[in-house]
Amino acid sequence: MRDARLEIRIGGTGGQGLILSAKMLADALCAAGQRVAQSQTYEPTSRGGYCNSDLVVSDREVDFPLTTALDCLVLLDRMAVKPSWLLLKRGALVIADTRLCPELPGGDYRVHHLPLTRSAIELGSERVANIVALGALAALSAVCERKALEQAVRADTPKSFLDLNMDALAAGYGLAARATGDAPRAALPSCDRG
Amino acid sequence: MNAVDKALLPRLALRLISGNHACALAAVAAGCRFFAGYPITPSSEIAERLSRLLPEVDGVFVQMEDEIASIAAVIGASMGGVKALTATSGPGFSLKQENIGYAAGAEIPCVIVNVMRGGPSTGMPTRPAQGDIMQSRWGSHGDYPIIVLAPASVREIYSETLRAFDLAETCRTPVVLLYDQVIAQLTETVELVAAEGIRAERKWASGAREAYQPYASDGGAIPAMSRPGAGYRVHTTGLNHAENGFPTQDPETVARNLGRLLGKFEHHRDAIDSWQAIGCEDAEVVIVAIGISARAATRAIELARAGGLRLGLFRPITLWPFPEDALRAAAKHARAVLVPEMNAGQLSLEVERILGSKRVHAIHRYNGEPITPAEIAARAAAVLKEKAT
Amino acid sequence: MSSTFVDSAADFDVRDYLRMDMMPHFLCPGCGHGIALRALLWAMHELGIAKDQLAVVSGIGCAGRLSAYIDANTFHVTHGRPLAYATGLALARPDLHVVVITGDGDCLAIGGNHLIHACRRNLKLTCLMLNNEIYGMTGGQVSPTTSETMLTSTTPLGNSEPSFDACALAAAAGAGFVGREVTRHVPRLKELIKAGLAHPGFAFVEVLSDCTEIFGRKNDLGSSPEMMLRQKSDIRPSAYRDSVDTPFRANELPTGILAQTNRPEYGAAYRRAAAAQRASAAAQAGSANAKEDS
Repeated sequence: MRDARLEIRIGGTGGQGLILSAKMLADALCAAGQRVAQSQTYEPTSRGGYCNSDLVVSDREVDFPLTTALDCLVLLDRMAVKPSWLLLKRGALVIADTRLCPELPGGDYRVHHLPLTRSAIELGSERVANIVALGALAALSAVCERKALEQAVRADTPKSFLDLNMDALAAGYGLAARATGDAPRAALPSCDRG
Repeated sequence: MNAVDKALLPRLALRLISGNHACALAAVAAGCRFFAGYPITPSSEIAERLSRLLPEVDGVFVQMEDEIASIAAVIGASMGGVKALTATSGPGFSLKQENIGYAAGAEIPCVIVNVMRGGPSTGMPTRPAQGDIMQSRWGSHGDYPIIVLAPASVREIYSETLRAFDLAETCRTPVVLLYDQVIAQLTETVELVAAEGIRAERKWASGAREAYQPYASDGGAIPAMSRPGAGYRVHTTGLNHAENGFPTQDPETVARNLGRLLGKFEHHRDAIDSWQAIGCEDAEVVIVAIGISARAATRAIELARAGGLRLGLFRPITLWPFPEDALRAAAKHARAVLVPEMNAGQLSLEVERILGSKRVHAIHRYNGEPITPAEIAARAAAVLKEKAT
Repeated sequence: MSSTFVDSAADFDVRDYLRMDMMPHFLCPGCGHGIALRALLWAMHELGIAKDQLAVVSGIGCAGRLSAYIDANTFHVTHGRPLAYATGLALARPDLHVVVITGDGDCLAIGGNHLIHACRRNLKLTCLMLNNEIYGMTGGQVSPTTSETMLTSTTPLGNSEPSFDACALAAAAGAGFVGREVTRHVPRLKELIKAGLAHPGFAFVEVLSDCTEIFGRKNDLGSSPEMMLRQKSDIRPSAYRDSVDTPFRANELPTGILAQTNRPEYGAAYRRAAAAQRASAAAQAGSANAKEDS
């Protein structure tokens, strides 16, 4: 069976902007002609409760729009580990924040511990950690073109935050480059896009 | 291009939208010019969107003091001749029931969105459920007809919202749009066509006042309504009424008029009934599901067929009145029927009723976790194995 | 309120405004509601409101049944909800005169939430609350306006709850027009309803109406004329204009126009804001087009 699905989760806590970053990624993928379904799980506590935002990407209509086997997982809080870890596919890409998610269970995954929130703080606001994470995710997964993502981030950012968000996105790409020794990224093996 | 299309065009170009957003856009495109609501998760996005959209098209948005007032105001606006919508979720849907019964009995067109979340009572506000299937049909007291549409994707929320307004007007009835939290807050790529919009307008009374009967029985035709101010000066009541709209307790008159009301959809089933059948012709197991469970089933079919197990899906898009004949036809050759649903057993009861002697298996889930494609495929395989031994 | 009344009784024939084929009506002998209905129709007549432009929304109970007798666009809705239905109708159809007829139980008990918010919202509506201190149709149960110590079918020991002063409640909730009258003074009642109908925002008019058969009989209040003679119409203009000390009924209820302010009417304010938004959007689109063209 030809499985054209690519599943991505950005997990953390409410208020970290997970849904916004997933939406930006979805916009970029959509602009590139991909079919996307973006969903979220959240708790009634608007701030601080467990939250994740998921993307299912395909080159045809997405049948089941929820994630069942993750190709990529971004962890911006340790709270997101438990509900997500069992969903990981073998060899999946895992990006975890060094500060907020320092420990991970073992497994056969491509794990990158990156200082996402620290980079955001250095840029001036921890609130852009979601955008740093987005940049790192896009770079390490090669899920979409950098240009398309930059355009989506620009479109979804209020003017006063534009510079900060674009810097954050670039910082994410930078972290990914350092983590992989600037090696060019190949598309994920599970993502069949003909 | 009309003014509505023009107003919507920039948004129609957007291809990634959420279910609730699609509902709001479709309502405006269908000619809805009045919304009354009360904040409730996970339907509030519809109200928020319409609070911006409606003033743009000279419509009215009002946040009322409670759920009951919201449906009442919607029926009031519709009695004034304006297409009207309210949106809510479980607890609010419970509160609206008495007035939904009024709209059904007095035959006032309106559309009610119920986004299903966990229950009973306050339940799980941010988690999906499909526990209002029976309530959407039987929630108000007494005997009454109602149409319930159950879209399963963002694209379908758009098209079914359009159809809901059409059916409300052509059948003079409240129409419920019933979908779960997943579909409501799911953002999907969709292609919307600007030309899709108003397809049905209300049938207004014409001719002499003396000859006009607001509840006339004319074969299977739905009686025309009269617009306040047009000279007909009719009476509308929640009491059992005669053809002229005035209350009566005369057994013969009540039986005749209530009988017409209860049977009034039968002449319009071609327009009302809607379903999707995938792979049912050769399926060993036919799955019957709506909403997110149907989306899971769609994928389960593929997973199972790849492994040699032939599954099919029957998905009622019009949930009530249930497309019974279509289900019987779809399940005719199946060895088993499986109903995955996010409740303790509702759709499966109706499927059992319709299919009579056929054993109906079910996955009943009420913990807020959607049923997965793998679970459905595995259960279908187990059901067949059970049958074989 | 003006002290001289225009007596148009000579050219007012109530039958012109009634659905005469609905007669005889279902009210008990001695009931005050018929007087209130007549006063409403008389006020309408004097204001020149066309029957086609009148929409009457009524709730459940004796008062709720009155709409069926009026030759207008009439809507007899669910218990307690006529104000909510009327809100939708009036917002959708600002060209109509929307009048709500409700009773004390309909308006203050099951519909109490809608009343306070209708007062706050200030949408152009006239709410005529016929207060007979009792749930008459269901057999005489205690209502939110039943006077203390009174006997009803559910207060066999005498009512021990304080009763609402509905006008004080409406005034405190912000109603732009609040008035009360008794059925004994028909021309005064007509004038008060007229002022309410003419008010540009939400108008709350309470009519003290006797329930002879159910309430009067239970409490030995005498015949209908005797009950009516006991009614007091004590004109205290603007009694609630400045402040409301208590929402509970005192022994003597003031009558007349009790509060009147000219707050912005909700429907017009909403439509103005919407029109302004459309205009500014159109202007923006226009300037964007101009840029593209150049």
